[in-house]
Amino acid sequence: MILNGLSLTVNAGEVHAIMGPNGSGKSTLSYVLSGREGYVVTQGSVTYRGQDLLAMEPDVRAAKGVFLAFQYPIEIPGVATMQFLKVALNAQRKARGEKELSTPDFMRLVKARAAKLGVSQDMLKRAVNVGFSGGEKKRAEILQMAVLEPSLCILDETDSGLDIDALRIVADGVNALRSPDRAMIVITHYQRLLDYIVPDVVHVLSQGRIVKSGGKNLAHELEERGYAQFEKDAA
Amino acid sequence: MNIAVNLTPAELALGGMMLPHARMEDWRWTNLRTLIDRPYPPGGKIAVAAKEIARLRDTSPLARMPAARLVFVNGAFSQGESRFPASGEVGIRPGLPRLSASDEPVASLNANFATDGLTLTIRSGANIDTPIELLFLATDADPRTIATRVAVDIGAGASATLIETFAGEGSYLANSAVSIALGEGARLDRVTLERQAPGAIHLADRDVTLQGRAVLRDFTLTAGAKLNRQNARYTLAGEHADARIAGAYLLGGRQHADTRLVVRHAKPHCTSREIFKCVMDDHARGIFQGKVIVDPGAQKTDGKQSSHALLLSETAEFDAKPELEIFADDVVCGHGATSGDLDHNHLFYLRSRGIPEREAKAMLVAAFVEEAFETIGNDHIRAALGEIATGWLASRGGAS
Amino acid sequence: MADTDTIELVKDIDVDKYKYGFTTDIESELAPKGLNESIVRFISEKKREPEWMLEWRLGAYRRWVEMTEPTWARVHYPKIDFQDLHYYAAPKSMAAPKSLDEIDPKLLETYAKLGIPLKEQEILAGVRRQGESSELDSEGGGETAGRVAIDAVFDSVSVVTTFKDELAKAGVIFCSMSEAVREHPELVQKYLGSVVPQGDNFYAALNSAVFSDGSFVYVPPNTRCPMELSTYFRINERNTGQFERTLIIADRGAYVSYLEGCTAPTRDENQLHAAVVELIALEDAEIKYSTVQNWYPGDKEGKGGVYNFVTKRGDCRGRNAKISWTQVETGSAITWKYPSCILRGDNSRGEFYSIAISNGRQQVDSGTKMIHLGKNTSSRIISKGIAAGRSDNTYRGLVTAHRKATNARNFTQCDSLLIGDKCGAHTVPYIEAKTSTAQFEHEATTSKISDDQLFYCMSRGLSEEEAVALIVNGFVRDVLQQLPMEFMAETQKLIGISLEGSVG
Repeated sequence: MILNGLSLTVNAGEVHAIMGPNGSGKSTLSYVLSGREGYVVTQGSVTYRGQDLLAMEPDVRAAKGVFLAFQYPIEIPGVATMQFLKVALNAQRKARGEKELSTPDFMRLVKARAAKLGVSQDMLKRAVNVGFSGGEKKRAEILQMAVLEPSLCILDETDSGLDIDALRIVADGVNALRSPDRAMIVITHYQRLLDYIVPDVVHVLSQGRIVKSGGKNLAHELEERGYAQFEKDAA
Repeated sequence: MNIAVNLTPAELALGGMMLPHARMEDWRWTNLRTLIDRPYPPGGKIAVAAKEIARLRDTSPLARMPAARLVFVNGAFSQGESRFPASGEVGIRPGLPRLSASDEPVASLNANFATDGLTLTIRSGANIDTPIELLFLATDADPRTIATRVAVDIGAGASATLIETFAGEGSYLANSAVSIALGEGARLDRVTLERQAPGAIHLADRDVTLQGRAVLRDFTLTAGAKLNRQNARYTLAGEHADARIAGAYLLGGRQHADTRLVVRHAKPHCTSREIFKCVMDDHARGIFQGKVIVDPGAQKTDGKQSSHALLLSETAEFDAKPELEIFADDVVCGHGATSGDLDHNHLFYLRSRGIPEREAKAMLVAAFVEEAFETIGNDHIRAALGEIATGWLASRGGAS
Repeated sequence: MADTDTIELVKDIDVDKYKYGFTTDIESELAPKGLNESIVRFISEKKREPEWMLEWRLGAYRRWVEMTEPTWARVHYPKIDFQDLHYYAAPKSMAAPKSLDEIDPKLLETYAKLGIPLKEQEILAGVRRQGESSELDSEGGGETAGRVAIDAVFDSVSVVTTFKDELAKAGVIFCSMSEAVREHPELVQKYLGSVVPQGDNFYAALNSAVFSDGSFVYVPPNTRCPMELSTYFRINERNTGQFERTLIIADRGAYVSYLEGCTAPTRDENQLHAAVVELIALEDAEIKYSTVQNWYPGDKEGKGGVYNFVTKRGDCRGRNAKISWTQVETGSAITWKYPSCILRGDNSRGEFYSIAISNGRQQVDSGTKMIHLGKNTSSRIISKGIAAGRSDNTYRGLVTAHRKATNARNFTQCDSLLIGDKCGAHTVPYIEAKTSTAQFEHEATTSKISDDQLFYCMSRGLSEEEAVALIVNGFVRDVLQQLPMEFMAETQKLIGISLEGSVG
């Protein structure tokens, strides 16, 4: 049992940070929300815009606006990043009954968004995440988010493996996507990321449930005093 | 010791010629004695309307590509249907070329039953830009054996693009023997597209010799026929010859395909690369047997081989025998072989971005075979064949 | 540490390359030359076997008569005249079983000369010496790790088995095969031939008909065998074959590590060695089987040497069973040997680690079979072949996953190293995946010792031969580490010796 008794409500326009020590269930939460196989929900429900999220296949969730920025983005040899993005975007548009983007329109969109995130044309031509550095992978994830324009963004340890400059670029990219009709769940171990992506609410996850919620100052409190006190509470 | 053997109906129809069986090392996974379960007597002349031929020809994804086209219909070279190369530097001589003696079963089948063929020569130093396609068509008629033979001679320093396309309808056994000689410094881009009828049997034998500094790019797409066996021997007979040999299988239903490749480094300083990507769905069975031989004295050989299988259904099968036989010490040789199903992480990642499962699978299949397709030098051909790979999964319905 | 040891050891090499080539002059009792039913009866009678054992042998003999020698391996040798061999040879002084004190001193001397002390107090003394010598040893376990129980087999009979009483306290049976047939018939009848049936192949059938001695091991449920077990095989007599038979059973939850070593005198004629080894690991059991094979390889021109035609197979019969083969093959004129694992139990695991070194005119055709039958079974193959001189060295292996072997996993790495341009290195793997959930990965490389590596070593003061030994030891390191630590140093030394004369 990894998650147990977790209850969370995220409204449109809000940014929620979920903090917790290793093994508290942070990544499990992101995988359950995005529908990765190998996780069984024995009890409880997830309602997304009034619908049962857990009943949906991963691609249906994506088409309905759920986006997970992976902690460890998957490398897919042979599939060019550009092609991948185009197929994904048009599949989502088709599922939503929207018109598919033409290749020139798509190119314009991606180029504009890529430039802001410092993603080079060369990277776009390469296979998905193959041969990307840690920082490049994270930037590519945010680029996908910018192109696919989801309504629920789940960022799983997006700061891990980033140096301070890369962190700033990624955070700027994320902040640019903040909007009144978009919700975000930012999962992180450290408070550092939250200096750049300032959350509306901070939750502390321990042993599979939320043991404390509060404003952005809670993050600073955690940084100073550590997770130990909360783990005691959880036990 | 005298072993009495009861000939199978197929063997009787071939004049008592014994078919290879699983006790023969090279045929351990392809027992023709049991797999060929009905007779295919040598085929005679069959009259076919021009309209029929045109219809069959136009099903080829390469039909609209500008190319010289040498057309065989039911094993007979049809000059009327062919479009000869414009260049005077290409020579075409109809008639059966000589076949070097061999006890290899597919080659001896050809030695016994080939009815027609041609010899194609490219003059030394000539650069032939327009691809030359050999198109072998079989029409729907009684089950029969169709055997053809082609010899190709590329002169020193010459270059050309050669395509062999096999297509047809109905039930037949197609046997093809091709021998190719690349002169000093010659370059050949060669593509084989095997899209035989679903009820057909394809047994091909190929022999390629490269002289010094010759360059070969060779790609075979195996997609048709219920039973397919391709032998190919490549001899690097001159220093600094360079051969890149690739192939892809797209097999479904109960298709069975077996490729037996022998690459012989006879001289020093040669390079060879083999890359085979095999996709099997349903009950299909793919087999890859590749052998790299380095002769004594063939120092500084660089020979690498890889075969990778993607099994899309639990009942699909893959067998491989990647062999090395090395008699020189200053060499870098190796091979790799893998077999497995689709990577579930890849599939999930694509789906998490909104790509439906079927489409995601098709993308991953196309990505899987991509590396083999890179061997095709001609952009037009690569794109046309690439589309077959991309559309393959979708075109097959059933697959989930 | 290990590397400097090797260099020191290489320096000490005798002028005579094969140092185990001496002959023991001892009076032997021989069966008449040739093979027929009465020879089979003779052997069975010599061993005072029960009727069922004789019948089993005769059954095997009748099958063998119908079989032909396999020819698919890449080895060449003149046709063996199976009627021109003695199928039984035993020192006359061994007419009756003896206690250690009664053993012919000549035999004790032979084993002492081979570095195998048979008196238990000597063994302990030897181990203490070893324990002080090398840092390598300190990587391993506690006090008992250094003790090894030995079954010494001389031609067709077992001379002595040490530490039997202590093993018996733990419930472990370790004795010669002949003794097991008499003392533990229920176990022998249940398991003998259950992994390698009588008619499995030509040499297995021959062995089943005429097998002489070998070791029998039974480890009871939930027992960890308290020490390493080892058998030392020695062929001494002229014109004999050695046909040992080994049977090891690890019952539920048991663990045993076993090592065999082999040597033979330098003789101009070829000697035949056709052994069968069967391993059975039941649920949660583990068997680790190591071989250091150093039969006489023949001289530089290929005269003499042992023909080593061996069938070794393990059966992971229960869930979570594990069988691991490690072999160091440096000897024999011809080696034909494929220690295999049948992965029958769900989650069972098979391993094969091999170093095969060929020099002179040696021919090696060796590898493994991993047969995945159960779910979630896994296997790992690491093979390092080194060819020098005019030798031929072939890796031949099969990895197969049957339709029901869901989630089978295999990783294979086969590396060959060529030293000199007169030798051959070959790789012949067979891979069969009959289920999509099987993940197989196979890699093979062939290369030579690079001039850069040699130069680098030599610029640091090593001779070329030392440099080669050093680099080869690095090349085989992954496999070497699998050996029981008592044998690691010995093996490194052996590698150096085997490659002597391969450079320059």
